[in-house]
Parts: sequence; C-alpha cells; structure tokens
Amino acid sequence: MTDETQPRTDGGAATALPGDSHDEGGHLPPRWSIKRWLVTTNHKDVGILYIVTAMFFLVFGGILALLIRAQMWVPRAPGEGILSAMAYNQVVSLHGLIMVFWFISPFATGFANYIVPLQIGADDLAFPRLNALSYWLYLASGMMVFASFFQGSTYAGGWTLYAPLNIPAFMPSIGATTTVFALVTFCASVTVGGVNFITTIHRMRAKGLTMRSLPLFTWSWLLTVWMMLLAFAALLAAAMILLSDRMLGTQYFAMTTDSGAVLWTHLFWFFGHPEVYIVFFPALGAMAEIFQTFSGNRIVGRKWFIVSMVLVALQSFIVWMHHMFLTSINLEVKTLFMATTIGISLPFDLMVFALIYTLIKGRIRWDTPMLYAFGALVLFIVGGITGVFLGAVVLDYEFRGTYWVVAHFHYVMVSGVTALIGALFYWFPKMTGKTYNEFLGKVSFAVFFTGFNLLYFPLFLAWGTPRRVFAYRPEYIAWHQMASVGAVILGISFLLIIYNLAKSLVSGDDAAANPWPYSTTAEWAVSSPPPMENFPGTPSYANGALEFLGSDEEPAMGTAAATDGGHATGHEEVHVDHASIWPFVIGLFSLVTVIGLSGLQLGSFPEGLEGLFYQATSVVGVVGLLGGISAMGYENFTAHEGGLGEAWPFEGVENTKMGMWVFLASDVVLFGAFIGAAIFLRVAYGWTQWNPVPHNPIPGLVNTYLLLTSSFSVILALVAAKKHSRKGVVASLVVTFMLGIGFLVNKGIEWLELYHEGIWLDDGVRESVYFLTTGLHMGHVIAGLLVTAYLIWRAWNGAYIDGNDEPLEYFGLYWHFVDIVWLFLFPLFYIV
Amino acid sequence: MARTKLYAGIYVALFVIATMQVAVEQTGLLEESYVLALGLITLLSVIKAVMVAGYFQHLVWEPRSLTYVMLLGFVGFLALTVAASYSIQ
Repeated sequence: MTDETQPRTDGGAATALPGDSHDEGGHLPPRWSIKRWLVTTNHKDVGILYIVTAMFFLVFGGILALLIRAQMWVPRAPGEGILSAMAYNQVVSLHGLIMVFWFISPFATGFANYIVPLQIGADDLAFPRLNALSYWLYLASGMMVFASFFQGSTYAGGWTLYAPLNIPAFMPSIGATTTVFALVTFCASVTVGGVNFITTIHRMRAKGLTMRSLPLFTWSWLLTVWMMLLAFAALLAAAMILLSDRMLGTQYFAMTTDSGAVLWTHLFWFFGHPEVYIVFFPALGAMAEIFQTFSGNRIVGRKWFIVSMVLVALQSFIVWMHHMFLTSINLEVKTLFMATTIGISLPFDLMVFALIYTLIKGRIRWDTPMLYAFGALVLFIVGGITGVFLGAVVLDYEFRGTYWVVAHFHYVMVSGVTALIGALFYWFPKMTGKTYNEFLGKVSFAVFFTGFNLLYFPLFLAWGTPRRVFAYRPEYIAWHQMASVGAVILGISFLLIIYNLAKSLVSGDDAAANPWPYSTTAEWAVSSPPPMENFPGTPSYANGALEFLGSDEEPAMGTAAATDGGHATGHEEVHVDHASIWPFVIGLFSLVTVIGLSGLQLGSFPEGLEGLFYQATSVVGVVGLLGGISAMGYENFTAHEGGLGEAWPFEGVENTKMGMWVFLASDVVLFGAFIGAAIFLRVAYGWTQWNPVPHNPIPGLVNTYLLLTSSFSVILALVAAKKHSRKGVVASLVVTFMLGIGFLVNKGIEWLELYHEGIWLDDGVRESVYFLTTGLHMGHVIAGLLVTAYLIWRAWNGAYIDGNDEPLEYFGLYWHFVDIVWLFLFPLFYIV
Repeated sequence: MARTKLYAGIYVALFVIATMQVAVEQTGLLEESYVLALGLITLLSVIKAVMVAGYFQHLVWEPRSLTYVMLLGFVGFLALTVAASYSIQ
C-alpha cells in the first residue's frame, strides 16, 4: 500500500494529504459515545450506520436462508422437517424481503453516503438531517419486520406479495399488515434519501467537476437514485393500496375485482424490474472503480459506459411485463415486452465488454477488492445469460415458477453483493483508517466463491423444482443437498469477512490516505478517515487537477447556509451543524405509530386489552411523530448550501427548491399509480359501465373553485412578501387555510351523505377507488394545511417579509401540485 | 407587481375552464358523443394543469430542466397506465 501522488483520471491530479486532523468537529460527541450515533447527521457517520445495519440484516436474512436449505435437504411433506408449512412460508417470504429491501440496497446506500460527497467535492449532503432521517426510517422499518414475527405471523405469501393471497381473507395476521407497513416506511426512507442525493450530486459538485468527468461510482449512484425515486413511488402506491385493503376493507385486490390480481403485478413489477438495476448499479459502479484502480487503466470506452448506464436506467421502466408472461395479459403486449427485454441486454453487453477490455489492457493486481470485483463480473455474466431464457415468452412459460428463476436471480443479485463486498474491502481503509488482513481477505474470497457456486449452480440443474415449496422430485435430491452444503460454506465466508474486518478495526495497521496505487478519485486525496468537513479547503478541478482553495480564494467552511427546514443564514462565513436528535425521534415514533396502527384490521381494532394496546400505541405514536416533525421543522440547523461549483442542469435553483421539485416528481408517480390503478380497474370493469360514485358533480366543482382560489391566495401571499407586507402575507395565508378547510368540510359532507345512502369504501371496486384516491388527495390537503398553520404563525411573527420568502414559494409549489392533482381527479371521479 | 394581473388572469381562466368541464357534462355531450366529450374534458384538464404549473409554479421562468424532471414522472405515469390498460384488452 502506498501513499503517493497519483494521476487522477476523474478531474486531474491531486496530492494525498496524510495526517489531516481527524476533527470531531466539536459539534458531536466522540465516536465511542452512543449519543453520537443517535444525533449525527454527518454523511460519513450515516454511511457507517447504513453499512453496519445492512450487515446485521444480511445475517438475519442469511439465517433464514440456512433454514430454507435445511428444510430442502430432502423432499418433505407438510409437517416434516424443522419447519412447519406455515413457518416455511414465512421464512421464504421474509428471506426475500429482507435481502432485497433491508440488506442489498441499504448496503449500497452506506457506501454512497460515505463516498459520493467525497468524490464530488461536497462537505456533506444537501440536507444532512433528512439524510439521518432516511437512515432512522430505514432502521424503524427493519424493526417493524422484526416485530411482525411476534404478531401472530409475519407475511407468508412470497416476497412479491402477489394478490389475492395478500388480502386478509388469505393472510389475516396482524404481523402481515406490519410487514406491509414496513415496506411503506422503507419507501418513505428511500424517497427522502433519493431527493437528497439527487439534489446533492446535481447541485454540489466542485468547480470543474462536470457530469462527464464524474467518477463512475457517483454516476452509477446518481442513476440509481433517479430510478429509486420513480420506481419506489410505484411500490409505495401499491403498498398503500394493499394496506387500505387490509386495514379499511377496500376491494382493489379482492378476488371479486376484475383484474385486481393483475393490477398488483403491474404495480409491483413496474417497481420490481428497475429494482434489479437499483440493486446492481451501485455494485457496477464500485466494480468499475476497482477495475480501474487494480488494472491501472482508465475504463475503456468511458463515455459509452456512461451512455449505456443511462440507457439501462431509462429502459428499466419499459420491461416490467416480462415478469408477467404467465398472467392473463395479451400476447401482443407480451411480444412487445419480450423485445424491450432483449433490448435492455444490449447496453449491458457493452458495459461487460468494456470491463473485460479494461482488464485486458491493464496490469492486474489481484488484491482482495479486485478478486471480489472480478468474481462479481463472472457471476453476473452467468446470471445475465440465464436471464435471457426468462425474457423469451415461450421459454418463460417453461421456466417461470421453477428453480431456474431462483438460480438466475441469485446469480444476478448476489453478484451485486459480491462486488459490494469488494467495495467494502476497497473503501475499508478509507472509512476506518485501518488496513485489513490481505491473506484472510483472499481466503474469504476463495471460500465465498466456492460456496456461492456450490449453492446456486446446482439449482439450475434442479430447475424442475417448483419455487416456494419444499416438496420436489427425488432425482433432484443430490443437487439440493449440494446446494445446502454450499449455503453453509457461503455462510462461513461471511463470518471470515466479518472476523477479518472486525479484527482489523481493533488491531489493524494504520492506513495511509491513499493506500491504492492508481486510484483516481477524490476520496483518496484526504486522510483516512477523512476529517469532519472532508477537505482542507474548497475542492476545485477548475485548473484540470484537484486542488483545495484556501481562505483567500474561498472560505473552507461554506459561504451560505442551506436551512434543511431550519433557519437560513446570510452570506457571512458560518459554522455548519452536524447533530440533531429529531431524525431519531421521528424514526422511533414511526415505529410506535406503525405498531399501533397495525392492529387496525378491516376497519376495527381487536377486542379487549389487545385492542386497547393497539389504540393507545397509535395515539402515542402519532402525537410523538407530529411533535418530532414540528421540532425538526423549528430547529435552528445550518447546513452547507454548496452551489459554488458545478450545478448543471440546475444552475440558479436553490437546494431546497430543487429538493421540492424532485420530491414532487416522485409524488407525480405516486398519484399517477393511484390514478393509473383507477383507470386500469375501470377498463377491466367496462369503461362506460363504470358510473361516478358521487351523483352530482356540483360539490366537486365547488371544491375545484375552492382549491383554485386557494392556489391564487398562496400566490398573493408571495406577492405580499415581496412588498414587505406582513398583514398581506398573514391575510393571504389565512385565506388559503380557510379555503383548504372549506374543501375538507365540503368533501366531508359529500362522504357523509354517501355513507348515509349506504355507499362506503368496502362496497365494491368503484367505491374503493373513489374513496381511496380522493382520500389520498385529502391527506395531502391536510398535510398542506398543517404547514399553512405553521407559516401563518411564523408570518405573524414577522417572517418572510425581509427578502427571505423562499419558504412561501416552496410551500406554494406543493400546494399548487395538490391543486393540479385535483384538476384531474375532479373530471375522473365526478364527470366522465 | 406586474405579475399580479397575470396571476389574476390565469385564475379567472382556470375558473372558467373548470366550469366548462361541468358544462360539457350538463349539456349532455357525454351521452351524445362520449369519446369526443371525454377527449374535450381531458384536454381542458391538461390545459388547466399546464397553466398552474407554468405560471403559479413559475415553471415558465425556471430552468427548463425542472420541467423535464416533472415530465419524467408524468411519462412514468403514462407508460404504466397505458401499457397496463392495453395489456388486458
């Protein structure tokens, strides 16, 4: 390992700075203090929290996998083996859910948290508290999964949660509802994180670091978070609808609903296929970084590699129906999606060849990160080729629902894990300041690679085994036993990895700032681990090489302050904050709220003490949640604004405004999925047979008038703020508030009338769609009114009239969006 | 604020268009020519949405990239809705 000046392909050249102080910042308790980890908002700390938590879920999901393999040792009848039939269903379902949602993606998110700001020359993410909130929501959602095991039964219908198996008629346990709630909370975490990273990468790059020169890991992560933002919004919609079916009794996925089951598969796989790339892209980016560093060669065809990633990210949203070839969708659309699926393999081919050719042209050093990265490429090629079979309609008829699919997707998904383990070894010295044991690292790879292939390859040969059951034909016994032995070996390799890294953390040698010759990215230009504020000055690539500008050129501590919901500071030099307890509090009370609400089944809580427990917990949770959100909103917290360097294509758009727009884009998909579901179900029902639920469009028209007028009054508030009129701002906001209340009252009267006529949301699919979609909109109105009340209070106390009217504008963006949604809901549910 | 008049004009136009949508229903056009009426009502909704986004949300004065961000979400919605609805025809 060396500590020398290296040429940098991503932006020029820089000299590593050994011995930078490991500044704890003075804002935070020391690292050994538990309190630090509860309050930290620093991206490096949050990254470590993500990685450690994800590895915890890896162990959890891994134990479930070992239980599956133990049960599969020989073919069983129900009641035989170590697991009952129902326990097996739970284990299979939760193994999939935990590995996909609570291990792989958060593992990558950990690296992104730690590394991306360093690679782009940012001091932190754009919204540090939201970053911490994203982590705590993730952890809370994971705790919900734990809790679900103790609520009768956790979810037991497979990780894809197919309908109608997912409704209470077939999956009645409270624990199953908690699992779906966990997914909803996880989606919230991902959305918050996505908004944060998109804003950061687009707006906070160092001067001279153009999009074309971004490091490949950052590129891959940027595309990942864009995919996350849009895909997880669809999953959020699906999970919210499912929750409504389970808790309120709506009929979206009921057996009596035409195409209700197909609707679930559409919503799930519209998310699910991009999810494959969401999982794999960060691994691909890490692989590219490692290949470059350990071959000493810039990636071949870099520009086309990036173009290919962009193409895959876009194409990932038009291939989802290849997961549905065995459903009742028509042959024309199957053929179309077969073509798009084959199409998406082409950019991947280009990327694979670029990686291979990079190695051929370079001089490879087989250190542990390189072994894992190369192994990942080999495994991915096997996974990719075997996936082509599933993209062809006729072959898919044969393979769907068999162990071929199990083997294929484990080769793809776990090849991603393999690359991320390579990334763990690669960035371990940077994150910890310690070197790992190289020999043990290589041994762990040998055991890992052996265990992996012994586990998953025989599953191709036993492909005739049906998925999700533990009965299979006797001729497959040898393959399944081989796989079970492989699972144990793979498990041992993880223990070796954890032992190696844990021991190195305690007693490893100190790592240099730049331990890898030919590393090319900015994280290696600062000490290991980096100081609190990351850089000794303002990073800049303006002269073709990475350099740090001192206080003469640019102040090192940031010149303007983003408020992240707190209070803005002017242009004087400011010290930024790194600690807030409120993200933790919000995460905690999210967990409490969900545990409480999970008791609500088909509109009522259980009888007796159990019901009382759930109701009391719900109240405590909601009160705590509202308190936490309010406190966080009012907290005086200063963050880096960035925007001093490259911000294409969002120059001139402040961080918070951009964050709001990005959030609204995800909300478009959320509402889009609800409206799309309404249109889909109406098509299935018979478009013209589907009459509007409200008998009269006039109350809807009145509500349209009310919302339009409230949008106008928000605009007037902004105009009054520009005129420095406190009365004008307060009056306009009060009018907005009253009109919003009017909207809710009018809607309430309409719902009450329908209720008295015997029409309610559980009557049928028409009623369900009407009440739930307009109910979601009402929820947005209520959230907006809570913010309006806060703005009125602040405006009354003199805020927003001294040139700091941005919060009014950002709130207006949200409120107008709510208005726009209604402009579509009104004709859809009242007129046509 | 010169724009106040513009905002007021937009508001009045939105008010009128919303009324026109109900008028289409009240005049019985839906019964006479359903597809035409549906198309007209949808078009009016799109016009209203574009006006709110363009002027109340200031997209006409912002960098075009913000419009593309919103269009990205909208195209996702269209892709899901159209393809899914077509798949069960």
